[in-house]
Order: sequence, then structure tokens, then C-alpha cells
Amino acid sequence: MAKKKAILVDVKRCIGCQACEQACEQAHGFPVEHPAGLSDKALTFVDQKGAKSVRRMCLHCEEPACVSACLVGALHKTPEGPVAYDASKCMGCRYCMIACPQSVPKYQWTKLAPYMKKCDMCYDRVKEGKPTVCAEACPVGATTFGDRDELIKEAWNRIRTEGDYVPRIYGTEEFGGTSVLYISDVPFEQLGFVMPPTGNEPLPMLSAAALGESPTVVLVGGSMLSALYWITRRRKAVAEAEKFGKFEGKGK
Amino acid sequence: MKALIGKITLWRAVSTIILAVGAYAAYLRFFEGWVVSTNLTDAQPWGLWVGFGTLCGVGLSAGGFCIAAAVYLLGMERYRPLLRTSILLSFLGYCSVCVGMLYELGLPWRIWHPIIYWNKHSVLFDVSLCVMCYTTVLALEFSPSLVEKAIPWKGLRRWYLKWQHRILIGLVMAGVLLSSMHQSYLGGLFLIAKGKVHPLWYSPYLTTLFYLSAIPAGMALLVMVLYLCVRSLQAKIEYSLLQDLSRIMMILLGVYAVFRALDLVRNGATHYAFMMNKEAGYFWLEIVLFLAAPLALLSWRKVRDTPLYLYWTCATVVMGFMANRLNVSITALDAMSGAQYVPKWPEIALTMAVLTAGVIAFRLAVLYLDIVPRYEEPKEFRWLASDGAVAEA
Ligand code: SF4
Ligand code: SF4
Repeated sequence: MAKKKAILVDVKRCIGCQACEQACEQAHGFPVEHPAGLSDKALTFVDQKGAKSVRRMCLHCEEPACVSACLVGALHKTPEGPVAYDASKCMGCRYCMIACPQSVPKYQWTKLAPYMKKCDMCYDRVKEGKPTVCAEACPVGATTFGDRDELIKEAWNRIRTEGDYVPRIYGTEEFGGTSVLYISDVPFEQLGFVMPPTGNEPLPMLSAAALGESPTVVLVGGSMLSALYWITRRRKAVAEAEKFGKFEGKGK
Repeated sequence: MKALIGKITLWRAVSTIILAVGAYAAYLRFFEGWVVSTNLTDAQPWGLWVGFGTLCGVGLSAGGFCIAAAVYLLGMERYRPLLRTSILLSFLGYCSVCVGMLYELGLPWRIWHPIIYWNKHSVLFDVSLCVMCYTTVLALEFSPSLVEKAIPWKGLRRWYLKWQHRILIGLVMAGVLLSSMHQSYLGGLFLIAKGKVHPLWYSPYLTTLFYLSAIPAGMALLVMVLYLCVRSLQAKIEYSLLQDLSRIMMILLGVYAVFRALDLVRNGATHYAFMMNKEAGYFWLEIVLFLAAPLALLSWRKVRDTPLYLYWTCATVVMGFMANRLNVSITALDAMSGAQYVPKWPEIALTMAVLTAGVIAFRLAVLYLDIVPRYEEPKEFRWLASDGAVAEA
């Protein structure tokens, strides 16, 4: 099996040049301009947080909420790491947009046959062993592409050797882990990162807990209903027999 | 008599206008697009159509499976006269939900995709499969009313009715199971959005909460509809049945109220209810309409014994239920995303048009099929009183 790939974003190194944005826009044929946020025409954007620039994009979760939410399985986690989208299955229900904790999936509201849009980590390139266009475009190595475990090692290495990093990699554990990892010299809370509501449980587990009950509901419920029906029928039969018996008794 | 005709034509005019405006809204939705016809955005991708059309539409149609279960499985023969009305009501409710899908999905021509593309981890997948199956079940449960009138060949008619009768109990059981599942899973849809749903409405027990609230809401709508049938369609219905229904509804509302309160405490969310903000306001609106007001009113004998008062109490329950579903699907998400969503007029117009079409279909069914026993001649409306209960309107 292919080794799991990932992207490492180093907020400390990022100079906010927006080269990743432009590379992404060119690769997708979108208008090349600095967007105000993620949209159906901007799958990544450089967010200005005070003095810091933070790249926003799909985090390609290890256990993605969007994948578990999509009712027709249009989204799937590939063995290489990217969370890819099969537009031919999508029916436009927009549940993925509700489910994603980062609110990453965007919708083509201006089209008559709208599809969902989100970063797919250049899955076609990654399959061929090439890096993403954004990683190739970054002039200072703030976005790098590689094997996930190598990148984690590299990130810890930077945190250890250059003292001013926050001693934490966002994405090793958050929401069950992600394939886009962040390190920073400013606490993530101040940079608008979404913090998991409780613990780091993967969100799909929350639906799984509810859905796990369905076989029980069907089995237990089904047998209870049958039992009830049986009792009712029996009661009716008894009542009828009694009526009949009384009638006979009177007749005697 | 003149007054009656005048009234009917007024309603006809109103429904025609609603349908015409709805048709124009549909044109806007399909040919001018989402931006012209809706206020949906990336921050609020589900609006009125999902919150009202789907969540309320399904929830308020819960009456059918309850009455069917009561009559066929529990042997509560008393309610048999209400059977066809409740099945028809639920069937039309689910039809409206299915029609709603056609304009709320981005790619409606792929509405059948869940039949072949399965994702068993998705709550929405389970909901859509259950809704598809249950709509079929309702169609089969309802079919005799149509078949007995519409099929001119006696043999075929008999054969169909006999065959339908054989599988009926199975249908009713399947209906109860399917309903129980998807009524709760509609709440389960929001479980995965933890952190994006305001704490006043997020709970790990959203499934239970949705189930427990849908049943009394479905009953409330049924009582309203029965009242209107007696008032305007010369239906013969015993008023005591409505009183019994409202008594059961009151108990169920009480159970839900206790569960909701305990759940809020358990989630540590009570303090949000006492903040001075929009969310707290909407929360109390929901609580007063759905729980506080009806529970207080129903414990008052005079209200239970007066059809008109009972009707309005049930209307409160229905409105409170809608407030709850819209709160979960819109207020709670807006609060966290800051989307400030307000539906655009075509969203409302399309919803109204579908509702109106449902009302017209219901009326025609009651008039031309044997749904509920009726007086031959239009008379001053009156209730059948079995036990001497007050039966004046
Ligand atoms: S960030 Fe959102 S869209 Fe991206 S993989 Fe995770 S859940 Fe899916
Ligand atoms: S909008 Fe498309 S990709 Fe998203 S959940 Fe619905 S069907 Fe799946």
C-alpha cells in the first residue's frame, strides 16, 4: 500500500506571499485573485491573523466527518491520504457542509447544476507520486509535501531545534488526526484554529453511536410488536369465545 | 348557503394565488438559480426547505403510524374511525417531503442515488432509505381507499384488497419500525456537527428528543385536521376520540418536557437559557409554545371539553414543534456560524405552495373517497357525542 502522504504548514515560516493560492487557482482555472475566504472558487486562502499568515484549506482528516456524512459515498479517504470527491455520485444534499467541523466544503450556489467544492490535495498528482501544486509553489518551504510520518518527525525536529515554536503539532490528534499538519510560533487558539469540542474523538463516532442502535431497534422492536400483536389477537379471540360461551350458557 | 359559497370561492382564490406564486418561485429556483431564489450560503447551507419542509414535514406526519399501531397492534378499536384520516394525512405529509427534495437538492435528478450508492455510516443515508420505504408503506396502507373507488373491475379490486389485507399487519409493523428509526435519525443528523450546534439544542440524545417530540406533534396535527374535517367537510366524528387523543398527547408532552429539562441540566447548558440574546429568546418561544402553554391549557377541563379551544391548543403544539425544528436546524447553527439566515420569499412561497397542494389533495380525498364518515347534506357542523361530553363548537 502507498505510504500515507501529508502537507506540513509552518506558520512561522509563512511570509504571506499567496503563491499557494495563485498556484491552486491556476491549476483549477479559477480567477487568480486574493479571496476573502474559502469558496467554490478558492480552495485555499491565506488568512491574515494579526502579523501572522495562516493557510486555510481542507485538513484531509484521518477519519473525516464529511466522508461519513455523505449519504451516497461521494467522498472517500484515499489510502494515500487525500479526501477525494466523486462528483458523479454527489446529489447536492450539502450534508457534508453541515458535518465538517472546519466548514470546509463549499457549494456552487451560482450554478444551476451545483457541485460541492473542496481541496482534494491534488489527488491526481499525488497518485502519480507528484507533490501538490501549492507545496511546489511555496518559495520558503512553509508548505511542504511528503510522507506523513516523515513530516511529523521533521515538525518535531523544527520545534526542538528552534526554540520559539509552540510545542504542539495541530493535526496529529485533533479530530482523530489530519493529513494537513500545522506548526506555529503563536498559540493555535489565537490563530482561529477550530478546537475539538471535547477530546479528540473522531466525529464520525457520534453518528456511529446512533446508527449502531438500528439493528437492535429492528430486532427488539420487531419482536415486541409481534408479541403485542399476538396478545391483541389472543385477547380478541378470548373475548369472542367468551361471548359465544355466554350465549350458549343463556341458551341452556 | 350564500355565505358558504362565498367562503369557498375566497379560499379557492387564495389557494390559486398561492399556487401561482409558488409556480413562479419554482421557475426562479430551477431556471434562475439559488442566488435569486434563496438566501442559502456556505455558512447556512440548509435553510427553510430542510428545516421546515423536511424536519417539520416528517415530524408532523407521525400521527399515521401511531394510530395504525394503536388499532392494528394494540387492538384499540375505538380509534378505527380515525385510521384512514391519519394514514391519508401522513401519506400526504411524506409526499410533500419527497416533492420538497426535488427543489432542495442541488442535483434533484439524482434523487434516486441512495438506492444504488450506499454509505452505511451516514445518518442521512439511513434517513433517506427509511423515508423512501415508509412512503411506500404509507402508499400501500392508503391504497384500498383509492382502489375501492377507482378500479372498475370487481375481480381485480377484490383480488387487490384481499392481497393488501394479508400483508397489512406486516406493513403496520414495518411502518412503526421505519418511523421510529427515521424520526429519531432526523435528530441524529446533527450529532456529527458537534461544536457547530448551539448548546441549547445539542445533545447526545438528539435522536431520543426528536422521537419523543414527533409523536405528540403528529397527534396535535391530527386533532387539528379532524376538527377541520368536522367543521368544513361534514365529517361524523366522536368528539371523545379527540379528547382521548389530546390526553395521550398531554402525557407525551409531559414526558418530553421532563426529558428535555434533564437533558439540558446533564449537558450543563441551562445557563444559556437565561442569557439576554436571540438564542435564549427562541429557546423560550419553543418551550412556551410546545410545552408550557399546551400543558397548562390541557390540564384545564374547559379547554379539553371545548372543540375550538382544543383546536387552538393543538395549533400551539404544532407551532411549538415547528419552532423546535427550526431552532435546531437554523437558530442553533446560525448562532455558531454567524450566518444570520432569513429565508427569501421564493423559499417561503414554494413551501406554502406545496402545503396548499397537500390541503387540496386532502380535501378532494375526503370528498370523493371513503376516508371518514360524512353527513350527506351540508349542515351546521356538529360533533357526535358518545358520553354526553359538551359537543358544541
Ligand atoms: S476538513 Fe472537513 S472537508 Fe476536509 S476532510 Fe476533514 S471533514 Fe472533510
Ligand atoms: S453534497 Fe454531495 S458530497 Fe456533500 S454530502 Fe451531499 S451528496 Fe455527499
